[in-house]
Amino acid sequence: MVNRTGRHAKPVIVPAPAPPPDLPRTGGGPNTSALAPSDGKPDRFASAPVHIEVRNLSKVYKGKKGLQTTSLQIHRGESVAIIGHNGAGKSTLLKILAGWIVPDSGSATVEGIDLKHRAALARKLGFVPEKTNLFDFFSVEYNLKLFARLFHIPNARVEETLVRFELLAFRRNRIDQLSKGLRQRVSIGRALLADPPTLLLDEPTSGLDFEMTRHIYRMLGEIHSCGKTIVFTSHRPEEIRTLATRIIVLHQGGLVFDGTPVEYFESSIHLKLYA
Amino acid sequence: MIRNILTLTLNDLAIAFKNKTLQLVLIIPMFVFFALEMVDQGDSGLQKVNIGLLQNTSYPPVLIDGVESADHVFDVTWLGDAEAAHASLKSKRIDGFLASSATDPGSVELIVLTQASLKTLTIVEGVSAIQDAIQGKRKSWIAGIRPLHDSDLQKQTLPTWILMLVLLVGFVVIPVQVAEEKEKHLLLGLLQTPIREIEWLLAKLLLGIILTLLAAGLLQLLGGFKFGGGIAASYVAILIAAGFCFSASGIFLGFLCRSQASARTLGMLVYLPNLLPAALSEFSQKLSSVAPLLPSFHFYMPTQSILLEGGSIAAYPVQLIYLLSVGLVTLCLSWSLMKKRWLM
Repeated sequence: MVNRTGRHAKPVIVPAPAPPPDLPRTGGGPNTSALAPSDGKPDRFASAPVHIEVRNLSKVYKGKKGLQTTSLQIHRGESVAIIGHNGAGKSTLLKILAGWIVPDSGSATVEGIDLKHRAALARKLGFVPEKTNLFDFFSVEYNLKLFARLFHIPNARVEETLVRFELLAFRRNRIDQLSKGLRQRVSIGRALLADPPTLLLDEPTSGLDFEMTRHIYRMLGEIHSCGKTIVFTSHRPEEIRTLATRIIVLHQGGLVFDGTPVEYFESSIHLKLYA
Repeated sequence: MIRNILTLTLNDLAIAFKNKTLQLVLIIPMFVFFALEMVDQGDSGLQKVNIGLLQNTSYPPVLIDGVESADHVFDVTWLGDAEAAHASLKSKRIDGFLASSATDPGSVELIVLTQASLKTLTIVEGVSAIQDAIQGKRKSWIAGIRPLHDSDLQKQTLPTWILMLVLLVGFVVIPVQVAEEKEKHLLLGLLQTPIREIEWLLAKLLLGIILTLLAAGLLQLLGGFKFGGGIAASYVAILIAAGFCFSASGIFLGFLCRSQASARTLGMLVYLPNLLPAALSEFSQKLSSVAPLLPSFHFYMPTQSILLEGGSIAAYPVQLIYLLSVGLVTLCLSWSLMKKRWLM
């Protein structure tokens, strides 16, 4: 199924959650065709194979919906921003994909591998949580080498990562002696250690200063340009503009928008979300 | 699989070193050893007791002569009155004193701090022996005492200390470490790698067994206790079985808690009820009927037999199966909670 933009129409919202009264449903859902075409970036993902497929995922936390029944497809090479208010289900969706949370219903595949096959999936997905989960009392190098051993990859890859993420000068520093920005760089480096095709990031620049935020943007831009699929959650409009090729808006656990950044910023959803 | 388990175990040991758990497990045996050294030195004259006599009390002359002449058993201290004697007893300057009996004017009463104590027994035995000798009674039917556990105080108490260490590792150290990895999302981070849940669990078990063996080994080394090859093999086997059982239980406890603080509390709540009934089962009929319900007792009993009587693990198949079963069940429960990402 291909829509007016030439993009594969994204089969979202199955079954469709009732759109919140203040947020009209737009984007890649049933009424996508009425929207403006892409943001001028080449629509190079139109023919790309489906990379992540989410089918009817839902998760309830003690009677409170974390994620309503949600379905979507993410194509290889896309950089997808998942946005929405706090509690909208953004992190829940990422954590389900990363295997941190077991969904109540539904399924998802990454490159055809079901989430249930976690060990096989580990090489397909790198996850950077909002709060870094590194071994604080060990050095940067120790953290990377530990994961390299568990991935059964050579130590040369650790050296490459230290160079690539500009961490050579800090290799012997304990994690708890590093700034938040440096810790985030180590965390991203660790997530990419096994060179997975997909990177999931939960609010990657949350709490970072301007300079470090720009640094992370540049780094993620480079990672994306290498052909990796990036899925991240964000509250920052400039982050979405800089990094995303596609935006998914979640509201009260349900998917209410799926489209390009231009479509998003021209839509009333953007204003209603952040007005 | 083995490589992953070893990597994770080494990482766990490194964590244990960094958060001082390893030091705790090694310092406790040292503390126990030095405390026992001091007890031994202080009690070098274990048979000799300090008995008080009151100046304002008229004792039978034969009693005074008898007690004063038995200077290999008694040190006699003369005290002004009962009040002074009570003060001396409370401050442990004397082990007991003789006062005139309120119910039987011709007799004396022995006032002691605790009735069921070694000192009390020594005073009663000593005074009775003097009385028998003075009254010209025949020799006692029991000519001597030959204990089954023929060893010094350090070795006598070794099974209790070993039990304490094994339970400490299983019910306090392991749950806290598991809860820490959950609380800081380190475990979820590790599960982002291709390791399987069972590998992580086995690594934690191995950590528990290594810490148990280290602690027991250090206590053994410090005490200079020597055992034959058969006894040593049985001892190591029971330690490994206990390490498996209690570490698996500890992992399960860790999975029931969201934070280190709650794991520590829950660990202590399980630790003490396991330690005390088993360790004190010899001293109480009631405890000895409750203790067999606890896995700790099924470790304590064979350990006592192996260390003090030269027994073999082969004589305790039921206990061994019990320990392994408890370990296996709790390991399966932990695996199930881990799969569900319980409280992670």
